[in-house]
Amino acid sequence: MTISELITLLRQDITQNYRMRGAKGARTEKKTLNRPILWTIGGIVVGVIIIAAVLWIGPIIGWDVISQIVSENLGLGSTIFNAILLFAFLGSIMFAATTVGNSERMEYLLVMPVEMRTIFMEKYLLLIIYSSIFWLVIGTPIIIGFSILAAHPIGYLSILAFVILVLSEVTIGTSIGGLLGLAFAKVLAGRRRLKQIGWAIMTSLGIVVGSLWYASIYLGEGAGWFNQIIDIAMALGFASDLTPGYYVSVMTLGLLVGAPLSIQHFFATLLIPLSAGGLLYLNSYVSELAHYSGWMRSESKRTPKEKVLEEHPPWNPNPFPRLQMSITTSVSMWYNLTSVKRESKVFTQYLLGPLRYLIWLILPVFAWGDELLFILPYMLTAALVSLAVSYGVSFAGYETVYEGRNLMNLQLAAANMSDYVKGKVLSAVPFTIAAASIVGVFYLIFLPATWFQIPAMVIGCIFVNLVAGAIAANAGASNGDFKAERMFTRQRGAAVRPPIKGLAIIKAQLIPNAYGYMGLFGLVLGSTFIATVYGLLVGILALYLLLPVFALISLRLYRSYSFKAGVKLAQLEASEYL
Amino acid sequence: MIEVLTLTKVFNEFTAVKGLSFTVNPGEIYGLLGPNGSGKSTTMRMILGLLRPTEGTARVNGHDIKKEIVKAKKVMGYVPEEPVLPERLTGWEYVNYVSDIWKVPRGVEREEDIEELLTLLDIKDASDDLIETYSKGMSRKISLVAALVHKPQVLILDEVQAGIDPRGAATIKEILNGLRSRGATILMSTHVLEIAEQMCDRIGIINEGEMVAEGAMDELKVQAQGQSSLEEIFLTLTGGPDMQLIAQFLGEESGEMM
Repeated sequence: MTISELITLLRQDITQNYRMRGAKGARTEKKTLNRPILWTIGGIVVGVIIIAAVLWIGPIIGWDVISQIVSENLGLGSTIFNAILLFAFLGSIMFAATTVGNSERMEYLLVMPVEMRTIFMEKYLLLIIYSSIFWLVIGTPIIIGFSILAAHPIGYLSILAFVILVLSEVTIGTSIGGLLGLAFAKVLAGRRRLKQIGWAIMTSLGIVVGSLWYASIYLGEGAGWFNQIIDIAMALGFASDLTPGYYVSVMTLGLLVGAPLSIQHFFATLLIPLSAGGLLYLNSYVSELAHYSGWMRSESKRTPKEKVLEEHPPWNPNPFPRLQMSITTSVSMWYNLTSVKRESKVFTQYLLGPLRYLIWLILPVFAWGDELLFILPYMLTAALVSLAVSYGVSFAGYETVYEGRNLMNLQLAAANMSDYVKGKVLSAVPFTIAAASIVGVFYLIFLPATWFQIPAMVIGCIFVNLVAGAIAANAGASNGDFKAERMFTRQRGAAVRPPIKGLAIIKAQLIPNAYGYMGLFGLVLGSTFIATVYGLLVGILALYLLLPVFALISLRLYRSYSFKAGVKLAQLEASEYL
Repeated sequence: MIEVLTLTKVFNEFTAVKGLSFTVNPGEIYGLLGPNGSGKSTTMRMILGLLRPTEGTARVNGHDIKKEIVKAKKVMGYVPEEPVLPERLTGWEYVNYVSDIWKVPRGVEREEDIEELLTLLDIKDASDDLIETYSKGMSRKISLVAALVHKPQVLILDEVQAGIDPRGAATIKEILNGLRSRGATILMSTHVLEIAEQMCDRIGIINEGEMVAEGAMDELKVQAQGQSSLEEIFLTLTGGPDMQLIAQFLGEESGEMM
């Protein structure tokens, strides 16, 4: 392994991912280069503003005061520096496994006369650079600003120390995360069912624990939530002086204020970049072993001890009971459900993912108690709308884009694409009914007086889901990355990147939410008002007379957007998806 | 020179390649033939160091692939069946990148060599385009340019002519003949038996991971008990189509059509 090989590999990867110069060729679509240029300029501007702010505020407080406070608390930044390590770790758990799992896609690199571990190391270095940029763009100007204020030569060394140590921390975090991911992959290799169950449990736990964590912060007293974070960090030892963050803090701040540092501090701090280098190499080496061993190959499976003959009965999808739909719609619906259910991680993500933000809608009521109880029905309604929209976007929007190469078969078969889109939209309906019913139960428990509105809310929710699905499918058909793949080990770029690009994904989220809020809130407010003025019976009557009107408008929108999406999919050029 | 020595690859419990041995000499084109899934690509990928053999080894110009894979790769060029290339680089950038990795000295000579290859393979006009815009044939051509730019002593080609237009195929044929006359070692797999018959000095036929016949065309004819064409030899050694199933299928089809 040589540094020049690493630099050549890294330069190519950065050129490829961050093109500052367009390709001249006549076949290449001329795309705007504004984004990378604006990001670069933006980073510089942010840096200059931060330096200016430090230089402006610093003298107001007085360097002597700052210097004294920092000198007495050199471990001041431990929590932040440890958080950097933690974020790097959490964000990269599956990165190494994904990179090795995707190694077939970098065959052109693997045949090069370079050790395979060098190639993997370059990929991890790129991740480290990307993961560090935010901290470096924000942190470096702060240190530069204070170094200028400090006005002594050693103070400037803190800039170098900060950059090297932050990069080292991110390297430690990503490398440990990578090794852990590879270990998981090794344990789960070939055990498809175990892997699926594991993913489902891990994803659910991640979502539920994350949501509860938000809740615990939210339900804390007053502005105590920030203190809670500090308490949790302290409890986990993140503010202790035996962590990398403490030594990064002591070294950076110590150099900044010119505090006397012991030889033990220098030695302990030196261990950080050294262990970062060691872990990076270990991660690359284990990745090489993983590649050669073949346990990351997605198609590998363990052969059962006894030979099991699999029988495939003719596939005969049935439509919803008592519902008339075309064969194309029926096939599309069941195909969608089957393919989503096959990836338990995706399935769980689609179903439980919305919890992450639903919690924010409902918690204020619990946080502030009875004073805000009157807004609970609206919060629950908002939660219903969000669920319906989210399911529509996932099952119809994302899944339309993930059709990828299958679009060729559909186009060649001259399938009615509008019917096909409808199938995708309809596949989300059973889940919407289930989720809306659960929310409906909450409604009934907390607000029994509104019992008459609950069936209308659940039914209204289904129609919001239909509209959301059709709009999302249309957005996907207009601006989807049809080469994106759902399987996380096969995704291009970031694993969490939505397959619908640009403004289209924002529209796909905003328009149905706005429509749902207007529709369902209209029904809730209207019927409550009528019930208050003219009595409950008239209120109920009005609600159930208005509901069919809302349903008819929704059906019209569903048909219209499904049609538009279908036409776009039918007209899609093969170069978009092949 | 490529020496394959009792090479074996086992995936879980499936043996893809079983104790395969053959030698490709300098100045020789060796054709590896076999039905789909017979182990041709796996064998090539082991020689290239992309897969590690379960047993046995191979030597490329004397470098053992298990011990000196980087040295072995240094002298090899490879064109895969389905090249996966960096889509966000232009063809020109990609070939230069490959040249840098193989440490081809930068300068006028290198640029002239690249231009010559691009012109020869009729892809010069597209060299400033991003690879993501290339057709399959163009990807294969740029992959061949990248494989040749560092003047490899050993060339491994997996179905190189598939998807290439007739003019491109003829050019590739001429290039390979030229490289052979300069002493290059060429190992190629193909399904086009006509190409194998015309171009290869020796042919190895593998079936289910095992070598079932090997030699020059004349030797193969003897081994296959006097079959005259390579197609007949191939079908005799690897098993022909199931005529009964075909007749059954066609019968059902014609019944449906009526």
